[in-house]
Amino acid sequence: MTTFKVRVKKYDLTLLVVLMLLILAGLVILYSTSVYNGEVKFHDAMYYLKKQLFATALGLAVMYLVAGIDYHIWKYAAVAGYVGAVALSVLVLLAGEEYNGSKRWLSLGPFSFQPSEYAKVALILFLAWMVNKNAKKIEKITILFKVLFCILPIVGLVGASNLSTAIIILGIGVILVFVASPKYVQFIWMGVIGTGFMTVFLMLESYRLERLLIWRNPEQFAKGYQTVQGLYAIGSGGLFGRGLGRGIQKLGFVPEAQNDMIFSIICEEFGLAGAGFLIFLFLLLLWRFFVIAVHAKDLFGALIVSGAMAHLMIQVILNIAVVTNAIPNTGITLPFVSYGGTSIVFLLAEMGLVLNVSTMVR
Amino acid sequence: MKNRTYNKKKIFFVFSCALILLILLFGRLAWLMIFRAEEYQKKAQQLHERERDIKAARGEIVDRNGKILATNRTVCTISVIHSQLKDSEKVIKILTKALHMEEAQVRKKVKKISSMERIASNVEKKTGDKIRNLGLDGVKVDEDFKRYYPYGKLASKVLGFTGGDNQGIIGLEVQYEDYLKGINGQILTITDARGIELDEEAEGRKEPVKGDTLKISLDANLQKYAEQMAEKVMEEKQAEKVAILLMNPQNGEIFAMVNVPEFDLNDPFSLPGEEKKNLTPEEEQDALNRMWRNECISDTYEPGSTFKIITASACLEEGVVKLSDRFHCPGYKVVEDRKIRCHKVGGHGAENFVEGIQNSCNPVFIDIGLRLGVNDFYKYFQKFGLLSPTGVDLPGEAGTILHKKNRVGQVELATMSFGQSFQVTPMQMAATVSSLINGGKRITPHFGVEVTDSEKKKTEVFSYGRKKRILSAKTSETMQELLEGVVAKGSGKKAYVKGYHIGGKTATSQTLPRSAGKYISSFIGLAPAENPQVLGMCVIYNPKGIYYGGTIAAPVIGNIFRETFPYLGIEKE
Repeated sequence: MTTFKVRVKKYDLTLLVVLMLLILAGLVILYSTSVYNGEVKFHDAMYYLKKQLFATALGLAVMYLVAGIDYHIWKYAAVAGYVGAVALSVLVLLAGEEYNGSKRWLSLGPFSFQPSEYAKVALILFLAWMVNKNAKKIEKITILFKVLFCILPIVGLVGASNLSTAIIILGIGVILVFVASPKYVQFIWMGVIGTGFMTVFLMLESYRLERLLIWRNPEQFAKGYQTVQGLYAIGSGGLFGRGLGRGIQKLGFVPEAQNDMIFSIICEEFGLAGAGFLIFLFLLLLWRFFVIAVHAKDLFGALIVSGAMAHLMIQVILNIAVVTNAIPNTGITLPFVSYGGTSIVFLLAEMGLVLNVSTMVR
Repeated sequence: MKNRTYNKKKIFFVFSCALILLILLFGRLAWLMIFRAEEYQKKAQQLHERERDIKAARGEIVDRNGKILATNRTVCTISVIHSQLKDSEKVIKILTKALHMEEAQVRKKVKKISSMERIASNVEKKTGDKIRNLGLDGVKVDEDFKRYYPYGKLASKVLGFTGGDNQGIIGLEVQYEDYLKGINGQILTITDARGIELDEEAEGRKEPVKGDTLKISLDANLQKYAEQMAEKVMEEKQAEKVAILLMNPQNGEIFAMVNVPEFDLNDPFSLPGEEKKNLTPEEEQDALNRMWRNECISDTYEPGSTFKIITASACLEEGVVKLSDRFHCPGYKVVEDRKIRCHKVGGHGAENFVEGIQNSCNPVFIDIGLRLGVNDFYKYFQKFGLLSPTGVDLPGEAGTILHKKNRVGQVELATMSFGQSFQVTPMQMAATVSSLINGGKRITPHFGVEVTDSEKKKTEVFSYGRKKRILSAKTSETMQELLEGVVAKGSGKKAYVKGYHIGGKTATSQTLPRSAGKYISSFIGLAPAENPQVLGMCVIYNPKGIYYGGTIAAPVIGNIFRETFPYLGIEKE
């Protein structure tokens, strides 16, 4: 009993409270947003909420479990986990379920599973292990590329069906290497080269350029519909919003409002104040990650938390940037809020890792 | 490995990046939600709001005594909303019985999965109310207006009818559209992306304003009687069609305008009898247009001898003839190289002008027409108002068809003098003769009298301009006497009504081509001759058998005068 108490005390309490607040807010918003689509598609207003509640419960259990396991154990599972992620990504390409034109899901009886969400966690652990092992020589450019080379298979495999997630995975990788390395300048060069590659990549296919045109003038393109509807929702919110459940844009105007575009509905119903509060919650979370990472007992722990931080910040920033049309449209969900079972389970598993690291701070 | 200081610095760097980016995004958000809010809100609102019109009731048309000629009937539309149905079997049973429909048909519609399915429209209000009172879930009863004409075919070509959107299609319904149509109301509703209204979001409602009531000079009783008379003579003479006009020559108010065969205003798209079969859509539309045509104003004809009223007025006014002038009719008159016949083969012999007009003698009118000359003849054509439309308040008035002045020689002038080789509408003839015998002032024939709003307040009284003098009072008086003579002693005898001073002039004109042997018989009558209060005109197209205007058209007007004088308050002398 006593040991248990001690351990509870050592968890980062602020992180836990902020996390619970986010999960709760996320569920309320998801319910409000998905009632209409649930009613229209499944004749069940609670359809999406029920599935999300189940996934959240499962996720919390996983989090509790992971939080109780000494994170050093994952060193031994890192390679296996990574190989597993590659295998699953191959499997989803061969036997995945198509939805909205891309193969992203594996069916397991009544459940469906999105391997790319798992891949993010597996990659964080794998990279934390690998970078930790090579930390002394990480400033050498060859080692740096060796590390990044190791993650190319998973980036390529995920990118085959889901470009946005591949970018997130690559981003996590770069941030982890960056944290481990004492240097700065080489990363500036990496940034320059990356931008160059991106430009060539965009030029190669005209449909990618079209995305840019749509981004600048979404109202003039049929494919800009989702963006425009999101902007209407945001603009309709004003300072304090229409109030919970009173949004109209979610009634089929913003397509699949419970998914990528859910932030626009938050703006419509809760206004700038509500949206700002949500961003503040994410910032608090990131701040706790930062504090835990800085005080982590060793580099491995610091890298795990940095990975989680990188994951969370990339997704939150890209999602809000897309919804506000600050960058061209790409499908990225908002962590803890957007509908998606696999995503919430693995996000919470990641939180479990972070919590465990937080129990061993110096 | 240790977590070194540079690692911590890097972590701080990453966190700082996140902080800065999130603050920038919040800035972007604030920009969108504060400075662009108005624009996006407006666009979103336009997307969400649907305006649903509430039909305004169309204004009524009433006759001079306030009898309703055109009004609205409330009809119901019965629909089912599939998602709200609870007991569809019960609904099918009840609707089948109430609407007298086939069960299979109702079942198909009720069972159809659609957002809203119309079961029946134009359902009597009583039936609709009964269904509504049952309060069946998913069954909707909507009320709507439908134009209704209580007298059916009475004055059909004058009143006109309305189309699907309740807008006038022909006749007065078109002419007075702006007064009658009212202002549609609007319900502002908020809908989802599928266009389905959200109940709780109803925002505004603008009540419809009923159209104004139009009072016209037509008298339903006179119209009805005139229609009966027209039908009678059409049947007796197996004529193609018959037109009758009754009007007040003093102010231009039209009491009756008959064009038989009329058509049923409550069913204006059905052709009579067998006609409809085997017609292409274009042919059917042509047939409908013919059926709806108001011949009194849209078709021209050669007026024939009734035009002698106009020739006589012009010649008397110009002083080229006096009542005592003597003429001789051998049965024809030679003009240049042409021998123009009188209708009396042996000729009327010696006669003065008064007798000449009673005899309707062509040589007399050729003589005075030639005396007048082409220039003055055209001057009076213009002065009397024959060259411009009458201005009657009905759409589709035809103009006068006339030779160009420089193409008119002596022969043409001679034939024009007795009403041939040019065409006018019956309405033009009636209006011009009215103006010549009412003391000499041009009137505008019309129906519209006044407009009252739904609170019975007069909103507009129509006026028809200053009456312009076209003939001296003295000549007008002479014409009254001359025309009384025609009915008392001459060709218009059959229009005589005992105890009254009736004036009039007959006409029989052969239609073009002359070889077809078709005639138009007509008569214009007026009473009392010395101060005309009513002018009647009857035009019979293509009668079989006897076709003289004096024989078949004059008695029609005579009959109408006899039966309606007491009603009109015209007293015996």
